[in-house]
Amino acid sequence: MKRKSVKRVAAVLLAAGTLFLTSCGTADEENLNLIASKEEEERIVNLFSPMEKTDPDVENVARSATDLTVMMAEERLGIKVAYRTYTAEDYQDSTYDDVALDRARNNMDDIYLLNPDVIMQLAKEGELKDLSGLDSAKNLREVVKTANVVDGKLVAIPQEVVAYGLFINKDMFDKYQLELPETPEEFLECCRVFQENGIETPVGANRWWLETFVLAQAYADLYNGGNTEAEIAELNSGKRKYSDYMRPGFEFLQELIDKGYVDAKKAYVSEAIDGEGPDFLAQKTPIVMAYWGAANTETSYGAPDFNMLVIGFPSSRGQMPVMPMTGFAVGANAEHEEDAMKMLDIVVSDEALQVYTETNKVISPSKNVKVDCIPALKPLNDRIEEGVFVLGSNANMKVEQWGNTCLIVRELLNGATVDECMEMFDKLQEESLKG
Amino acid sequence: MTSGFNKTEKRKGYFWLLAIVVVFCVLGTVVFSVARKISQEMSASAIQNLSESLDLIECTIEAIFRNEADFQRLVAEEVAEAEDPQEYVRDYKRNQTMVKMSLVLSGETEGVSNMEDSFSEGELDFSSGKTVDGLPISQSYLNYMGTWAYTMKCPVEKEGRQIATLYVEYVYDFFDKSLPDGFYNQKASLYIMDAENERFVLKPKGMGQRSAGHLNLADFYRANDIQEEKLQKEVARCLESGENLLFYHDIRQANALNYMWAVNDGSIFLIGYVPVEAIQQEGRSVNQNIFIVVAVMLVAFLLCFLIYYFGQRQQEKIRKEREAERETHNKQLAEALQAAQIASNSKTMFLSNMSHDIRTPMNAVLGFTRLLAIDAENPVKVREYTKKIMASGQHLLSLINDVLDVSKIESGKVVLNFAQFTLSELVASVDAIIHPMAKAKNQKFHMEVTGVRHECLIGDETRLNQVLLNLLSNAVKYTQAGGNIWLRILGLKQRSSQYEHLRIEVEDDGFGMTPEFLETIFDAFTRAENSTTNKVQGTGLGMAITKSIVELMGGTIDVSSEVDKGSLFRVDLELRIPEDQTDKKFWEESAIARILVVDDDLEAAKNIQALMSELGIPTDTASSMEEGLRLLEKEAGENSEYHMVLLSWDVVKNQDAAAVNRLRGALPSETPVMLLAESGEEGLEETLQTENTHLLTKPFFVSAFKQKIVEIRSGSKKDVGIEMAEGSGLEGLRFLAAEDNEINAEILAEVLEIEGASCEIVENGKLAVERFEASGKDEFDAILMDVQMPVMNGYDATRAIRVLERADAKTIPIIAMTANAFVEDEKAALEAGMNAHVAKPLDVELLKKALSQHVNQKE
Repeated sequence: MKRKSVKRVAAVLLAAGTLFLTSCGTADEENLNLIASKEEEERIVNLFSPMEKTDPDVENVARSATDLTVMMAEERLGIKVAYRTYTAEDYQDSTYDDVALDRARNNMDDIYLLNPDVIMQLAKEGELKDLSGLDSAKNLREVVKTANVVDGKLVAIPQEVVAYGLFINKDMFDKYQLELPETPEEFLECCRVFQENGIETPVGANRWWLETFVLAQAYADLYNGGNTEAEIAELNSGKRKYSDYMRPGFEFLQELIDKGYVDAKKAYVSEAIDGEGPDFLAQKTPIVMAYWGAANTETSYGAPDFNMLVIGFPSSRGQMPVMPMTGFAVGANAEHEEDAMKMLDIVVSDEALQVYTETNKVISPSKNVKVDCIPALKPLNDRIEEGVFVLGSNANMKVEQWGNTCLIVRELLNGATVDECMEMFDKLQEESLKG
Repeated sequence: MTSGFNKTEKRKGYFWLLAIVVVFCVLGTVVFSVARKISQEMSASAIQNLSESLDLIECTIEAIFRNEADFQRLVAEEVAEAEDPQEYVRDYKRNQTMVKMSLVLSGETEGVSNMEDSFSEGELDFSSGKTVDGLPISQSYLNYMGTWAYTMKCPVEKEGRQIATLYVEYVYDFFDKSLPDGFYNQKASLYIMDAENERFVLKPKGMGQRSAGHLNLADFYRANDIQEEKLQKEVARCLESGENLLFYHDIRQANALNYMWAVNDGSIFLIGYVPVEAIQQEGRSVNQNIFIVVAVMLVAFLLCFLIYYFGQRQQEKIRKEREAERETHNKQLAEALQAAQIASNSKTMFLSNMSHDIRTPMNAVLGFTRLLAIDAENPVKVREYTKKIMASGQHLLSLINDVLDVSKIESGKVVLNFAQFTLSELVASVDAIIHPMAKAKNQKFHMEVTGVRHECLIGDETRLNQVLLNLLSNAVKYTQAGGNIWLRILGLKQRSSQYEHLRIEVEDDGFGMTPEFLETIFDAFTRAENSTTNKVQGTGLGMAITKSIVELMGGTIDVSSEVDKGSLFRVDLELRIPEDQTDKKFWEESAIARILVVDDDLEAAKNIQALMSELGIPTDTASSMEEGLRLLEKEAGENSEYHMVLLSWDVVKNQDAAAVNRLRGALPSETPVMLLAESGEEGLEETLQTENTHLLTKPFFVSAFKQKIVEIRSGSKKDVGIEMAEGSGLEGLRFLAAEDNEINAEILAEVLEIEGASCEIVENGKLAVERFEASGKDEFDAILMDVQMPVMNGYDATRAIRVLERADAKTIPIIAMTANAFVEDEKAALEAGMNAHVAKPLDVELLKKALSQHVNQKE
């Protein structure tokens, strides 16, 4: 009786097992060609952008945000976006801007992410397409248009309004009971106190971004004095000299260098963030300068062990954000021009910018997209919201500002005097007047 | 035997468990080995696969290189043939393959190019010495197009003489079109690295993560956390020697197979990684399937085992249950056997004892009877012998009574007769028997009643009486002359309002008992001390009977005792309280609203106070005569008065007679004074002569108190009357006696004659009925009726008499005189219509008492 029931159970189990195993097998399909049908030929759009360095085990948020919008475009258009990148290995290497210029001139790619000076340069050479016909261009803030319209053509559209500011270790300022500096004088005083307390180089710098100090002091009045257009017209006509605007900022930088607040030699050979970032994060340096997005990115300054604040640069009008306009541009002779235009229209659409802005917590170029910023960025954001800022680049100025100022500051770092630097500006202005 | 079986079972269980564990282990090991083998084979196969893929890519790139070299040689030949080689180069249009062509004439450092600028070899680095098909190839560099490029140089020979060098620049981007769109499902990463400057010069599309980019080898190390110095050295060595290298290293927390694959004799390297997960995809799938199959098998196996196990367990359970049942039966049988043996032994012992106990008095009876026959002429000896014969007979009787009682209790035939009774009467009846016994031994008998709330209770008074008498008579028996015996009745805290919780204590300061004897004192048929050696005669059954009765009443009995110090028996009982206990009306009718108690025993006074307070009668206490007088005066002054004074004899006896008079004087003459005294106190009579002064026997009972009040109210002194009636005897009375036994009839006739009464004997009930029916009015004062008689028994005869149509048929006292001596027999007699029951053998005193009660009542 007992054995019978055991046998019965065993039989049921065997049957169930057989059934299970049979069901695991796949039925033969009537298909003579075993290769899966090949997809249609891919439509490619080549995107050239700086290479964001990746760190082990850290997600690259900045890149992820762009990726999200690119994927949106790929999905909508059925295209494949190929990333082409370049980053200089060191200061002796060709810069990203140099390579971007070469690639654009040789039509190597379809879409380029460009710095303001390169945008200006290529636009003048006629290498960039007019984007004003795109639907997404209608949503842009005025300030973005101002910066990117060259000869009546909208040549670039950014995904974020890049704002530069001073990244402050608030804990260290509190330790020495220092107020956050508003003016150049106050800034120098802070540096003095830090130095007296054993911090030999209070300001961490690289070869790219020291120009923000200069631009903030140079154009604080121009952009916030209510007479912007007239002043720019006078500069373009030669009635006013760029060097007159630039001199205080350069002298200020010279003083920083002379007093050892900035290590000029180190800055001259340092790449952005790579050079000064580690010391700032290790709380050896209380002040560095960087762009807005660095505060949101873990690979930059997104996760400091201290209370960090981002403020504007010192100027006669108080803390001053500096906003150069980077942007995506489409090559005039792009191989995949049509797809590139469509793709750009999507990645800078309100919908894509909403995703981008929320992911990166940045200022959107679209007047329709607004996202709360992280607490550290609040002081900088407050100034921008008040409408107080300096443009790092302006297409209306005949002398390109962002790239030229950067190069001339580099000369100062390399030992040129302030007067020599001012001469360089005068020379540039002269050339522009000739053109 | 059972434990041996259990051990075998246990061993069996362990064996099974071990077998299962072994099977699982073997199966697990096999599965693990197979899975591992598959994994290893798959891994080896994947490495092989990867190598082949990389080989393919290598061959492709090398083919491109060779094509470019061939192309360059052809161009060089054309240049050599050209009229103006420099012009030829300058005009050469760039195409997809080559982006720049330059020519430097032999002996010159600068040359021309198809781009607008001039060219010198110094711009390029050919120091590595690497070649493509014999043509030197430069280190990679960023060209004017902003992309990574390399240049090969080829000599331009004319007529066997080198006239110039042709430089052609190619871009790496060109490779992209010839390479696959990714491999390992696009999960593998691939970069092309220049071996000399370690720069990553191309990341073909579809190779690895789109968002991740690498600058150079150092950046690749950093970004992928490849920091092991040994590994880096090995990589460096391979770069140097142009060897291929494959190694495992985690990339972004996932195990990955990394590779460095030399192309073109190591001038460039394919560098990248494939996640192991991607490589072993098929292997994992196979392993998963194996695991599923094994898991299903294991589950099936486990299921089979469980079914088997539970079946076995069920059977085991049933077997155990049966075994337990059998064991219980065996145990019960053994116990029963043991009990039967013990009982048998006990009974044998008992019979032996009884035989001795019965033979001893019987021997005395027979012996003295023989002596009586011899010394019949000597009146002094005759009296002495008859006295001893009487004593022996009495002892025999009590022996027989106890034996019968025990056998009845044991057979469960005893039924309690519940009826209402008062404690005071119970105590009085016990006192009446024990007091004289104690007095005879010169012992002091004390009675105390405290805390009893209800005196009128429901219970079997006769049995309770038996219990008390058993305990007290034992106490008297086992206490030396001059000793003390106490009877205490204590009211304990009630557990239910319907029951009075009583504790009866019987204490003595007599011989006491040994602990061994205490252990078996309540056992029937067993006696610790063999009665043959006992100095005091007794059946030894009294205590067993007592315990049985107490337990029958739902009570408990325990004893403590010490040799030569005395014993204490303690009986706890709960007796039901009759429903109508309050009778306020009585007190109102008696006009008693306030009482004074004068007693130097404060506890006794408090007890009375408590009892009376419960009845709603305020009671004051005084501990001395003086205090009592003060209270009386005070109350008189406040125009309130006591309606009764209870005065303890203990207070009075130490004072002069005038004290009572003083008290009496302080009271109105109509207020009675009640003397509280133990029975038999001396000097009472004199005090009782005082006006309106009465006696109330201690201990104080409300019921007795009430009875006394009734007596006072009615003005009769009944106790005196009873005394007088008891003293009157049987003289002049005439009885009709029904007795079938001639000897008994004769004894009866003789006894009654001695007492001055006359008697007519009939032989059975029927004759008795007929004789009574034929008798004249008041011819007989009472009928003495035997119960067991031929023709008609006593009960039937009584019933027949009672239904006779005569005026005295209902009233004539009929006294049962029978050897049926149990309580039930007495009850049956009364139910049949008899007035009293006197057990045989005939006790003249008891007969007299019964007759006096009923005959007097009749009067």
